[in-house]
Amino acid sequence: MFNTNRQKIMDRTDILNQEWKTRRIQPVHIMTSVGSLRGTREVIPLKTLNAVASVPVMYSWSPLQQNFMVEDETVLHNIPYMGDEILDQDGTFIEELIKNYDGKVHGDRECGFINDEIFVELVSALSQYSDNEDDEEEEEHDFKVEKMELCEGKEHPEDPPALISLSVCLSVCLSVRYKELTEQQLPGALPPECTPNIDGPNARSVQREQSLHSFHTLFCRRCFKYDCFLHPFHATPNTYKRKNLENQVDTKPCGLDCYMYLVQVIAERAKTPSKRTVGRRRGRMPNSNSRPSTPSVSSETKDTDSDREEGNSRCQTPVKMKLTGEAEAVEWSGAEASLFRVLIGTYYDNFCAIARLIGTKTCRQVYEFRVKESSIIARAPAEDEDTPPRKKKRKHRLWATHCRKIQLKKDGSSNHVYNYQPCDHPRQPCDSSCPCVTAQNFCEKFCQCSSECQNRFPGCRCKAQCNTKQCPCYLAVRECDPDLCLTCGAADHWDSKNVSCKNCSIQRGAKKHLLLAPSDVAGWGIFIKEPVQKNEFISEYCGEIISQDEADRRGKVYDKYMCSFLFNLNNDFVVDATRKGNKIRFANHSVNPNCYAKVMMVNGDHRIGIFAKRAIQTGEELFFDYR
Amino acid sequence: MSGASCKANGAVYPASSAMMNSVKKPKMEQIQADHELFLQAFEKPTQIYRFLRTRNLIAPVFLHRTLTFMSHRNGRTNAKRKTFKVDDMLQTVERMKGEVNLPLFIPSQNSENEQNSVSLEVLLVKVCHKKRKDVSCPIKQVPTGKKQVPLNPDSNQTKPGSHPSLLVSSNEFEPSNSHMVKSYSLLFRVSRTGRRDTNGLVNGEANENIDVTDTPSRKKRSSSHRDEGETTETFVAQMTVFDKNRRLQLLDGEYEVSMQGMEDSPVSKKRATWETILDGKRLPPFETFSQGPTLQFMLRWTGDASGKSTAPVAKPLATRNSESSSPMETRTSNHRAALMTVKESVSTDIQTRKEQVLCEPRQKLRIFYQFLYNNNTRQQTEARDDLHCPWCTLNCSKLYSLLKHLKLSHSRFIFNYVPHPKGARIDVSINECYDGSYVGNPQDIHSQPGFAFSRNGPVKRTAVTHILVCRPKRTKPSLSEFLESEDGELEQQRTYVSGHNRLYFHSDSCMPLRPQEMEEDSEDERDPEWLREKTATQLDEFTDVNEGEKEVMKLWNLHVMKYGFIADNQMNQAIMLFAENTGAHIIRRNLCRNFLLHLVSMHDFNLVSTATIDRAMARLRQIQEELPDIEEEQQDQTVVSAGFLELEN
Repeated sequence: MFNTNRQKIMDRTDILNQEWKTRRIQPVHIMTSVGSLRGTREVIPLKTLNAVASVPVMYSWSPLQQNFMVEDETVLHNIPYMGDEILDQDGTFIEELIKNYDGKVHGDRECGFINDEIFVELVSALSQYSDNEDDEEEEEHDFKVEKMELCEGKEHPEDPPALISLSVCLSVCLSVRYKELTEQQLPGALPPECTPNIDGPNARSVQREQSLHSFHTLFCRRCFKYDCFLHPFHATPNTYKRKNLENQVDTKPCGLDCYMYLVQVIAERAKTPSKRTVGRRRGRMPNSNSRPSTPSVSSETKDTDSDREEGNSRCQTPVKMKLTGEAEAVEWSGAEASLFRVLIGTYYDNFCAIARLIGTKTCRQVYEFRVKESSIIARAPAEDEDTPPRKKKRKHRLWATHCRKIQLKKDGSSNHVYNYQPCDHPRQPCDSSCPCVTAQNFCEKFCQCSSECQNRFPGCRCKAQCNTKQCPCYLAVRECDPDLCLTCGAADHWDSKNVSCKNCSIQRGAKKHLLLAPSDVAGWGIFIKEPVQKNEFISEYCGEIISQDEADRRGKVYDKYMCSFLFNLNNDFVVDATRKGNKIRFANHSVNPNCYAKVMMVNGDHRIGIFAKRAIQTGEELFFDYR
Repeated sequence: MSGASCKANGAVYPASSAMMNSVKKPKMEQIQADHELFLQAFEKPTQIYRFLRTRNLIAPVFLHRTLTFMSHRNGRTNAKRKTFKVDDMLQTVERMKGEVNLPLFIPSQNSENEQNSVSLEVLLVKVCHKKRKDVSCPIKQVPTGKKQVPLNPDSNQTKPGSHPSLLVSSNEFEPSNSHMVKSYSLLFRVSRTGRRDTNGLVNGEANENIDVTDTPSRKKRSSSHRDEGETTETFVAQMTVFDKNRRLQLLDGEYEVSMQGMEDSPVSKKRATWETILDGKRLPPFETFSQGPTLQFMLRWTGDASGKSTAPVAKPLATRNSESSSPMETRTSNHRAALMTVKESVSTDIQTRKEQVLCEPRQKLRIFYQFLYNNNTRQQTEARDDLHCPWCTLNCSKLYSLLKHLKLSHSRFIFNYVPHPKGARIDVSINECYDGSYVGNPQDIHSQPGFAFSRNGPVKRTAVTHILVCRPKRTKPSLSEFLESEDGELEQQRTYVSGHNRLYFHSDSCMPLRPQEMEEDSEDERDPEWLREKTATQLDEFTDVNEGEKEVMKLWNLHVMKYGFIADNQMNQAIMLFAENTGAHIIRRNLCRNFLLHLVSMHDFNLVSTATIDRAMARLRQIQEELPDIEEEQQDQTVVSAGFLELEN
């Protein structure tokens, strides 16, 4: 009876498992009956575990809330695995793929399988275990044999003498190479082009540009970050003009040692400059000479001296130093000197402030030092020569024409949208030669042109929500710029989500909470947590920004997988959410979608916003039209 | 103990069909075609719901009385809880001993009942096999006895032994010589001479060989009663004992049989199915029990009945409500009858017939189900005074509850409530958008995927924290929520229950999202771990940037990533925040000058004012002073040398 029942159960389970296999549900396993040792039949309750539905396939990806630019891949990083069938039946695909990369596949090395890095690692790792020379020798032998075998593809030598003779000569070569490599890696040796740490013990006295070089070159003015992920080229600030000339000088002395007392004295008895300082400077030099210093410093000093001898028109103060005599005792460290040069380029004659910031020197000492260095210090720039300030009325008219222009641009716009790159053509207005103009982009605040440039987008002056075509930003498919649109609220309420302007959602990352679940359509799907209104912003479609060429190459693989996360951003770039992205990447395609995608210009970057096409209810799956 | 009390519906509706007035018969083909369409539309979902109903009876997932809109089904009170002691349970059990725990019957409310007994005649009907010459099956009726039974007895007074009993010999069930008997059935015939009012209880006691120990039976108000004066009224009911395959149909148990008036009750053996129109007559089976006269009896196969009584007793199942029970078989057929439909054109006929009922003391709520199919072809069915769900026979008691139940439990259909002068009309149409997706509590599928639908016994559910609200502000139940909405169509297309009715997963790990994790976005952060690490390694890779610069840059990058600054005019604020947050770290790591360089660089980019630099540095100084043991932590020479220099000055 039990057995017949059991047979029935088995049969049923088989049928079920067959069915479940097609529906991707884990099969059920039945425990076998246990016949006891004594031959009596024992009944064991049959406990079946419930079937658990498996989830769709997901390839790993990294979460991202902002686009990430990557360079083109010059080598094929891996040969994509798509199941054995595809490899077997369609070898040509892989071949073509490799051809796309000029036959270069990651991991190919000239010397075979071992490079310098691995070699050094291996030897140092092995040397740890060697107690005596013999052991090491042996180890080396093994290693060499291995290396030889694999590198040169030769067969294992049969006779030991031959092996030994070969290995001896090899070991000599290798040990030489090892020394070469390890010596190179001595710690603490900075490459010559690197400025020493200003806070470190080795700080040197260097020029302002040198001190700030790293900060200037690595800082991305668009992301406010150093070495950002999005913009490969960073403009240096040299050409930026100071908007606000803040070199106002305190009128009151900052303390007992304020330079102003000196100046007052000077005013009373101004006389000839002294040349004593040179000697003092020299006295400081050994300090910096103790390590391989940049030659520029010493030459600079000479220049300074000669410059000063030519006569400094602006400052005639050094007299005082001699008179007080105190200054001679002051020792300026390299760090302090560098810092001074940095600050003087910002604060100009505000010695009180400089002294305060340096912290270790009094105002008077700063002043005296400044006198010594006077010639190399940049002067406070005069008023901007190239662009005379405009009148207010004209400005307003300008705005009106701008709005009209935007309209025109919008109407005449082809579907070619080019990537924005800040323009930099000093002393030339943004005309037909300007890259922004030719790419039909507006000049942004990141451009080096004047803020009065004709090609600049003026921003909006809305007081409403900026979600109609009344708003010039909305009309131009741009998000409101918080530095241009000052009335709509895009520049307010940084910490709250209640911004009156509805046209700044992408930049603020005001995305909706999305939830991942197996789709009702195919694979994974994305579902919205809270209901949204029509045209409300849902999420930005983030991913890697790759060039069109790279996209073509990657697309070939994705097409084969029948799964692509590529999204055209503009004529130059494509967003690929395959490796990096955010949850919206799981939104499926539909011809009757509830969302739409819009590429918007957001503070100089094109970004993809996903918006609600209609009111969407809680828990609905999101779709947009991929085409 | 065979205390199965059953309603013998099988016997009921052949008779009840006779109750209906005949209607105009449309052409047969037309009916048939229409019938096909109707079946096409409604057959499948109906059968599914019928199956589900049965399943829910056997293994209920929940109790209806726990639903807020069904709270009236919850009859128990918690009044006794306060005084409850464990010993009470023992007492209760002891008290129950010895008592006959048979459900007795509610005495008729009708007190004006004058007669207190009627005569019951039990006949054994043998339907024989047709012979070639016969037009119809030969029927033999064997009278087995006639008894006087009490009418509407007081259930408190009746004792089991006091009821009359009848005995049917087993010989009667032996094959007779002339005809092969196809089936046996019992015919109960109750006759009474009475006045106009025939309401009352017929207390019958039938005893066969099978001896039927009797119980009181009840005759309720008869709505179909039309004759007046001193005429003898006869009610009949028939129950099959052995069917044509000689299977025993009537087991031991208590029965309540619905009786039908004699004049329009041809003893028809045709079985009604839910979709057939029986001779164009209407079949209101629900009403028969609530309104028609009923006979109650107890049937027992006695021991000498040649082993036939060994037939297993069917397990009784709770139906409708607790007061009666019936086997599944009859229940479904009962149900079928409920769906008996009549064309709308016919309904006027029904109306006229119904007029008579109006004279009754209590106004009965009438519900018309109007089935819409095949481009608005309509069929209407009426259920009178019956707030049972036609699909699962759940007694909803209230119209609101019924509608709510229909909407929530039968989402394969779309229900629209239309007010009707006599009660309610419910338009039933097929929900084209029904997709079978899970609409239950998503939390149940969260913890143990696969277990949620397990029917192998109790399943541990996910622990979910709900906010309990004392006397929550529920919207007052209003029938208007079932009305067809004005802009209607779109709303109707969607499933009635929306929301998170699926299991969500973490996007990074593909692990199921637990209910407590619903609120926070798992990959919400602007600066995910990997990105923070990436920016650090990317900066570390530079060979021409010194370690002090790198450190400040990393700190600043993390700061910007964390707060996501987007505008130039945020920078002053950002710097101050930076000084505030990382000031202590900067001082400890001795990065003050690099920090200053960073500020100057920002100023060179026109992003901050000198005033901000001043303020940020001042703040840094302040933090430095506040730091208690800064000297100990700093092993750097510069500070020492700086201090030395200051002394020198």
